Amino acid sequence: MAKVTFDRVRKVFNDAVAVADLNLVVQSGEFMSLLGPSGCGKTTSLRMLAGLEFPTSGTISIADRVVNEVPPGKRDIAMVFQSYALYPHMSVAQNIEYPLKKRGVGRADRQIKVKEVATLLQLDGLLERKPRQLSGGQQQRVALGRALVREPAVFLLDEPLSNLDAKLRSHMRAELIQLHQRIGRTMVYVTHDQLEAMTMSDRVAVMSNGVLQQCGTPDEVYNRPVNAFVASFIGTPSMNFVDVTFERTADGVRLTAPGLSLKLPSHALRQEAGGGGRSTVTIGIRPEDVLVANDGAPALVKVFESTGYENIVLFEMGGGNLVGRFGPDVRLRTGDHVTLQFRTSKLHVFEGRDGKRLNSDIEPIAGRAAGRSA
Amino acid sequence: MNLVAWTVVFVVAFPLLWMILTSVKQQSELFQIPPTFLPEMITFEHYFTLINETPFLTYFRNSLVIALATTCVVIVIATLGAHSLARFSFPGRERLAQLVLFTYLLPSVVLIIPLYLLMVQLGIANTLFSLTLAYTTFALPFALWLLRSFMLGIPQDLEAAALVDGASRMEAFFDVILPQALPGIISTALFSFILAWNEYLYAMVLVTTEEIRPLTTGVMNMLITSYNIEWSLLMAASVMMSLPVIVGFALLQKQLTRGFGAGGVKG
Repeated sequence: MAKVTFDRVRKVFNDAVAVADLNLVVQSGEFMSLLGPSGCGKTTSLRMLAGLEFPTSGTISIADRVVNEVPPGKRDIAMVFQSYALYPHMSVAQNIEYPLKKRGVGRADRQIKVKEVATLLQLDGLLERKPRQLSGGQQQRVALGRALVREPAVFLLDEPLSNLDAKLRSHMRAELIQLHQRIGRTMVYVTHDQLEAMTMSDRVAVMSNGVLQQCGTPDEVYNRPVNAFVASFIGTPSMNFVDVTFERTADGVRLTAPGLSLKLPSHALRQEAGGGGRSTVTIGIRPEDVLVANDGAPALVKVFESTGYENIVLFEMGGGNLVGRFGPDVRLRTGDHVTLQFRTSKLHVFEGRDGKRLNSDIEPIAGRAAGRSA
Repeated sequence: MNLVAWTVVFVVAFPLLWMILTSVKQQSELFQIPPTFLPEMITFEHYFTLINETPFLTYFRNSLVIALATTCVVIVIATLGAHSLARFSFPGRERLAQLVLFTYLLPSVVLIIPLYLLMVQLGIANTLFSLTLAYTTFALPFALWLLRSFMLGIPQDLEAAALVDGASRMEAFFDVILPQALPGIISTALFSFILAWNEYLYAMVLVTTEEIRPLTTGVMNMLITSYNIEWSLLMAASVMMSLPVIVGFALLQKQLTRGFGAGGVKG
């Protein structure tokens, strides 16, 4: 078990900045996800931690030891690759024992350890097979086994579930969570799938264009995103954004848009909100916080999708689109006219569509949405 | 389609067939009119004559030594070099790879005179070593280019996984890269062997001593003169010269077809 520290780590390829000044600490025993879209620098960061890439500047430490100059094999890490990277010419047993062989462990000891890991991952009976004779899920477990057998201080996982079908993926997610609970080692997990990050991690580090946007618990990044990027990346269906006019009044803050009027107490937003003479901001509201009410902002149902346990509805409101998420009892049809309200305690206010969040989260935002009837 | 294929096979194989049949015919039968296809009486006297009464075995030994030595040197250098060209990034890498291809495109006859003069100056002219060196000069670029594309087809993650698992770069190379590149290495080795085995021009210019001659020039020199061609012995010699290559192909056929298949492992 070890702490991992990225200290002002920067990686530049030719002229492209892949990772810009990353400062991140993964606590000992923590499951940390690096989450972001393709090209955000998460895999590069993981590879630098593994020793497969050299940082352009900055230091990486494992257990308080700077490892910039330490070769991958000596960092006490193990890695599971997206492609599994199983050695095709070796059997499952040989694949799993390979790290032990490199460490000089004797044959008898190796066989014991391989058996242990195989039983843990339900690979008994497959030990003599070659990787190409295994299913995707089995290959993935062999890759995990090869990592486990080393008992490293830090596990690195590079999108290990992305090659699996949906059902197997959710099964393996649960298995990985249980594995982490059982062995309690530090795990750094790279993914572009926010559902994986949210369900598996102790903390999530959201990255975009090489820059760390936010590092926090799943609850923090979901309910208190620091900016519009994090807010839109986390959660599916994505958060709705509506551009509104901002006005500070005597008794609070008024946010207005065509067909929509919201009032918030003045302490709900940070002082700088509107302080710079800003008159437009962007509000964000998650689909599950959109309510169909007796009065409110008028909207038209465009698409109604039922998954069986919930209904996802696409509305047209005030010239733009809005997605709502409702229980199975809310039944609407395309073409229905409804009025919507927002759960203002869950309202987010941003500087713009890609700006930082202006809410002050000292206490929950209390307020009322008022609709202007057409 | 089958009929076309078999016809082509027959047309291509016919000279070989004729060669084998002629080598076991009595000499008197060769120029009979009408010509016979199958031998009236099978005889191996030409083979015995060749082995016992001519320096054929010396030439055979020389060819074998030269071809095997060339193959070994080429494979060792080309495997390591191809790995470097495929995996390591250093300034001028692509330019170097292009230069390698370019040298291979040069007709070998262009280099004969300078190479000969060089060998004489080094004092190694007329030795097996000189031929091995000469054949390496044009087998190596070909091997480098071929093996480089095999290496590029090996997923980079495999080597990365080996490094993370505790292997040094050389260990990763031997444990993971070489086994994956094996089909490519075998095909390249076979091509290098055949290149060296069949080569005539350099052998003719660089070696003039009987004891050092390889099969190509030795057999020609011995059996073909301005006045006479010893057909029976020539056919027997040709059969024996083809044997190592045929045996090699037969044994390594499975590896070769894998090697021909786009030189790669699926990503």
